[in-house]
Amino acid sequence: MSRAGRTGLVAAVVEKELLILRRYWINTLMRLVGFYLFFAVIFFGGQAAGGESFDGTLDGLVVGFFLFLAVTAAYYDVAGNVMREAQWGTLEQLFMSPFGIGRVLLAKTAFNVAFSTVIAMALLAVMLVTTDRTLTVDPVTIIPLLVVTIFPAIGLGFVFAGLSLLYKRIENIQQLLQFAFIGLIAAPGAIDSTILYVVPFSLGSELLADAMIDSLALWDFDPIVLGALLVNALAYFLGGYAVFTVFVRRARRLGVMGHY
Amino acid sequence: MTSSSAGKTSILQASGLRKTYGSGDDAVVAVDGIDFEIERGTVVGLLGPNGAGKTTTIKLLLGLIEPDDGTVQIDDIDPISNPKAGYDRVSAMLEGARNVYWRLTVRENLRFFARLADQPADPDRIEALLEQVGLVEKADEPVNDLSRGMKQKASLACTLIRETPLAFLDEPTLGLDVESSLELRRQLRSLVETESRTIVLSSHDMDVIEAVCDRVIIMNEGRIVADNPLEDLLDVFRAQSYRLTLASGVSAEGRTALERKFGATAWEERDGKVLVTIPNVQSAEFYDLVETLRMHSCRVLSIEPAAQNLERVFLDLTGGQASAAESRRTDPTTDAAERPLEDALGEGDL
Repeated sequence: MSRAGRTGLVAAVVEKELLILRRYWINTLMRLVGFYLFFAVIFFGGQAAGGESFDGTLDGLVVGFFLFLAVTAAYYDVAGNVMREAQWGTLEQLFMSPFGIGRVLLAKTAFNVAFSTVIAMALLAVMLVTTDRTLTVDPVTIIPLLVVTIFPAIGLGFVFAGLSLLYKRIENIQQLLQFAFIGLIAAPGAIDSTILYVVPFSLGSELLADAMIDSLALWDFDPIVLGALLVNALAYFLGGYAVFTVFVRRARRLGVMGHY
Repeated sequence: MTSSSAGKTSILQASGLRKTYGSGDDAVVAVDGIDFEIERGTVVGLLGPNGAGKTTTIKLLLGLIEPDDGTVQIDDIDPISNPKAGYDRVSAMLEGARNVYWRLTVRENLRFFARLADQPADPDRIEALLEQVGLVEKADEPVNDLSRGMKQKASLACTLIRETPLAFLDEPTLGLDVESSLELRRQLRSLVETESRTIVLSSHDMDVIEAVCDRVIIMNEGRIVADNPLEDLLDVFRAQSYRLTLASGVSAEGRTALERKFGATAWEERDGKVLVTIPNVQSAEFYDLVETLRMHSCRVLSIEPAAQNLERVFLDLTGGQASAAESRRTDPTTDAAERPLEDALGEGDL
């Protein structure tokens, strides 16, 4: 497979994903508005209920919500994309690419990570305006931490994409996952344990809060902690993809890959 | 390059393919140990009633479904264990129009699917293909806004843009009205001639198969029940079935001799004449038939070869599991369906 061919694949995937976002612009817009409204309810509701005491936790809330947006966007893009392709009848066409389904999904994933990051950054700006807070937003620190932190979401997305190939309608379980994401992102504020190094999102959430609230730069962090974050991210991402390939194999064995 | 037993090059070989869905009492055998080869540059029709195993067979050949048993070779590559390498050589239009992105335009789909197949999104090639399938004027409209026939054509173009030597088209005319089906049929034939590809086409639409294919594989209940060049398949049946009109007064001995030697059936007396179907006559036996009639003093008023088309052949071979079963009941030649298929086609045809 030539470099030109691989570049062509990435260009084709990016072009197609952008076109689909544009053609389904109401969906895209509603998703962004939905995220913002969710935040607004928490913010204004929290202010009304907690008063001044709520202000003390506001920076943490904005950072947590920023990460939550990025994580859920990445997760739904991966899981939802595979399900939608199966519904549209195009998943089998992707499978029949000489690049292999792995490379095709990798190209889609790269786009999804970039898109999720852009969405999260855009909504962060809106959240900061809404709350009238100031956080340190150093892209050199924030973007690498954010990207590495959302990698486990992609791995989990692959697991649920694989499950949906086999068991089809699993949206209800997926919605429950959102609450798990919130719990994991909020965990560093509640517990201090090595378990935070093992579960997804928690360590990244803590580091992002340190970077954005306490203005720490990437090189201020302990390299071992950053290494742990990277290992955690790769483990979930690769593990999720491995599980996906097992599910695809099973779907091929059962003859249900293109069904929906 | 693989050679078939006939010495011609084959692009695809399937051997002992078997697929069962479910297990225990619920197990359904979808494909039951089939073997065949496809020669390069031919158009092969895969025909069969619902549930015959056509789509499962195509998906097995494409590596989209793993078989329980058996092997597939496409240009000496096993697409089941090595799908990536196989997809350089094979593409497929599955389930009619559900293969393309309906929110993208026809041209955008072609650009995407070309590059997905490691081909450049060459504007000249795209334009030529749009022209071939008759979608130049609709090239920049979202597929969603096109008629069903045009969606099928867009899907066909996206399969052909992959430039693979072998393409599968599963039910390309499914759901089309008569006019669209006729147009797509004409375009398929023209594409086959201009593109010099090997095409395996599955369809319920026997007119499509008859108009486009060089060879027909008929499946029933997961097995291949006939695999012949189209003309041979029609000729075999033409040659074997005769409707005889005899003068009245056929003796009991004569009747017994015809039944015993030639499987004479569907006896009928009408207007003082005796009508009988002789379904089991090989060409060399024809003179023997005439001699038998002469010996028993049966005066022959007319001998008519039974008219055949692919639909009749299909119904005969599959035991009439198609919608035209009712018409078959009224046809005097249909007793041929009771005959073992091996007799009808001869050794080596199955």
